[in-house]
Amino acid sequence: MIRTENLTKVYNGKPAVDGLDLEVGEGEIFGFLGPNGAGKSTTILMLTGMIEPTGGRCFVDGIEVAKDPLKVKEIIGYLPEDVGFYGNMTGEQNLDYFARFYGMDAKERKERIAELLELVHLDGVAQKASEYSRGMKQRLGLAQALINDPKVLFFDEPTANLDPEGVREYRELVTHLAGEGKTVFVSSHILSEVREVCRTVGLLAKGRLVAQGTLEEVARALASPDGDAVRIVVETREHLPPIEDPAIISVEGNGNRAVVRAKTDIRDRLAATLFEQGLHVREMRLEEPEIEDVFMAAYRR
Amino acid sequence: MAPERLFNVARKEFSDHITSRRFIIILGLLLVISTISIYEGIGQYNDSLEAYTEQLQRMEEFEDPYSSWMPSKPSIMYVFISMMSYMTMLGGILAIAIGFDLVSKEKETRSLKTLLSHPLYRDEIINGKALGGVGALGFAMALALAIAIAMLLIFSVVPTVDEFAAILIFGAVTLGFLLAYFAVALTMSTVAKESGNALIYTLVIFFAVSSLLPMFGMMAADAFADAFAGDPPEPPEMGPMPKEIVRTASSGYFVSSASQSVVYGGTEDPEWTAYEEEMKTYVEKRRFISDVSNLLSPQMNYYTVAIAVTNPQIAAIAYSPYDAIQEETPGLADALGRVWMNIAALIVFPSVFFAATYVMFMRMDIR
Repeated sequence: MIRTENLTKVYNGKPAVDGLDLEVGEGEIFGFLGPNGAGKSTTILMLTGMIEPTGGRCFVDGIEVAKDPLKVKEIIGYLPEDVGFYGNMTGEQNLDYFARFYGMDAKERKERIAELLELVHLDGVAQKASEYSRGMKQRLGLAQALINDPKVLFFDEPTANLDPEGVREYRELVTHLAGEGKTVFVSSHILSEVREVCRTVGLLAKGRLVAQGTLEEVARALASPDGDAVRIVVETREHLPPIEDPAIISVEGNGNRAVVRAKTDIRDRLAATLFEQGLHVREMRLEEPEIEDVFMAAYRR
Repeated sequence: MAPERLFNVARKEFSDHITSRRFIIILGLLLVISTISIYEGIGQYNDSLEAYTEQLQRMEEFEDPYSSWMPSKPSIMYVFISMMSYMTMLGGILAIAIGFDLVSKEKETRSLKTLLSHPLYRDEIINGKALGGVGALGFAMALALAIAIAMLLIFSVVPTVDEFAAILIFGAVTLGFLLAYFAVALTMSTVAKESGNALIYTLVIFFAVSSLLPMFGMMAADAFADAFAGDPPEPPEMGPMPKEIVRTASSGYFVSSASQSVVYGGTEDPEWTAYEEEMKTYVEKRRFISDVSNLLSPQMNYYTVAIAVTNPQIAAIAYSPYDAIQEETPGLADALGRVWMNIAALIVFPSVFFAATYVMFMRMDIR
């Protein structure tokens, strides 16, 4: 549904997005992760047809965005970071203004707006948008992104201004939208937010895609910069003797407990050796790195 | 560019303008001052009409030595002369007030990014904004003229078809002037990141072209005239002084006082004739330089064109003080024909700024 080919955007001679190749399937909830300034928002602006790429191409539903941005805008919804509205108009009037660009007649607009305001719990709010709190603006932003019942949704830092209840509702909404077959592209620098709703992620750093896949795949890919090393935690009832195996890289032991770094998963061989030596194994497991630590390390790289 | 999307933007902008407190207050003030000055203008018109009737009666009763020079009937367009002065100030402020934050406010509140995420092109946004602003200024102008015409009718002053046409042309010229400052404000709003800066830049340009430019024009005219045309010619010391009728007319707070000497008797001195020719050439050179610089000032162009519309006779005298006086009042078409460069300048000035705004808006970084 979303595809980029060598997508590049250069500002003042410095690449904000550098040769990005990305693919997001239909109905996926894709998390676009990366630290501030990694190029996430710039990528979204190119994908939504709001800025033109310096190089490369991007497609949404098979349409090349730079060639036909209006057609793309008709099938997408976009919630910008720090979404803004016309302060002299109510939420309903703002939505009505945007809805007119989709050729909806008055009845259609009225029904759709009422439905969306109810969805984001802003129905019955008669205040002007300038009097809205940031959370209310964010919810109105969600409503305006859905005004045209889009196929693809782009959310840029969607929970930044929401309270915990708003965050919970947002997560439910995203799950519900994905259930309707919509593709959701969520950009965030908060891993916990992305892991709650997204099935696949892409990690962007300094304008380049560092990894893409499920969270586990990405974490695994990022966790082993020195090859395919695995960490095995071993604990026995008795004191651990020296462990030998051609696959072992190093052993950090402490009495009856050790962390073995090996080229591959040697748990079966290790268990057999310890059993042969008459040791009672209390624990033997692969140590998965904390996903936050992995991403933090990748952010710092 | 699709008309429905363009008009959707323009409709919203127009509605924003005419419902904004800022617009209502300035327009209200403009209309109150307009009503008072039109009321005063009607009083002066009635006085002039009375004086004209008396003069005609006197000419019939007595043997008037100047019977060949018929006084001209006062025009109701005199009523609109005072409108020029406050239009240049309050009208200018109104135009600036509706334009200075049109784009910058959208940048500040980030509504531009939200709007651009919906299916419309950038040119539809900027053209729609311009159209909405033009509509609001047109609405203000139409309201001011409607009140003026209504007052004329209330005081039993009924314009002729020609006068009505002149009123409409005066309205169009005034709108052209307002558009000049609206265009400047819109450009500055696109250039500046903050509305406060946009307002300051606009006011700087406003005062530069309305006050500094005419002053520099005069200084340049003096300097160039001295450099290229030498010192002004001296009148001959001796010779019979011709009898003169000095006609002086004035109008408005700014303009113009124009005078014309008409030799109607006596023997013409060749030295005087030569002096007059030299003086005419000198003044025309000097005025050419000043006029060229004034073409850059919407105020000066507006005064020149508006005077031609409201008082073609004064305009004719001011335009060519050394030409022979015309027996008949020049027509509106003649008067407008003489100031075509100023009319063109009134069109070109806002067009240049609109074009600059368009280009900058299309290239604007919306991150």
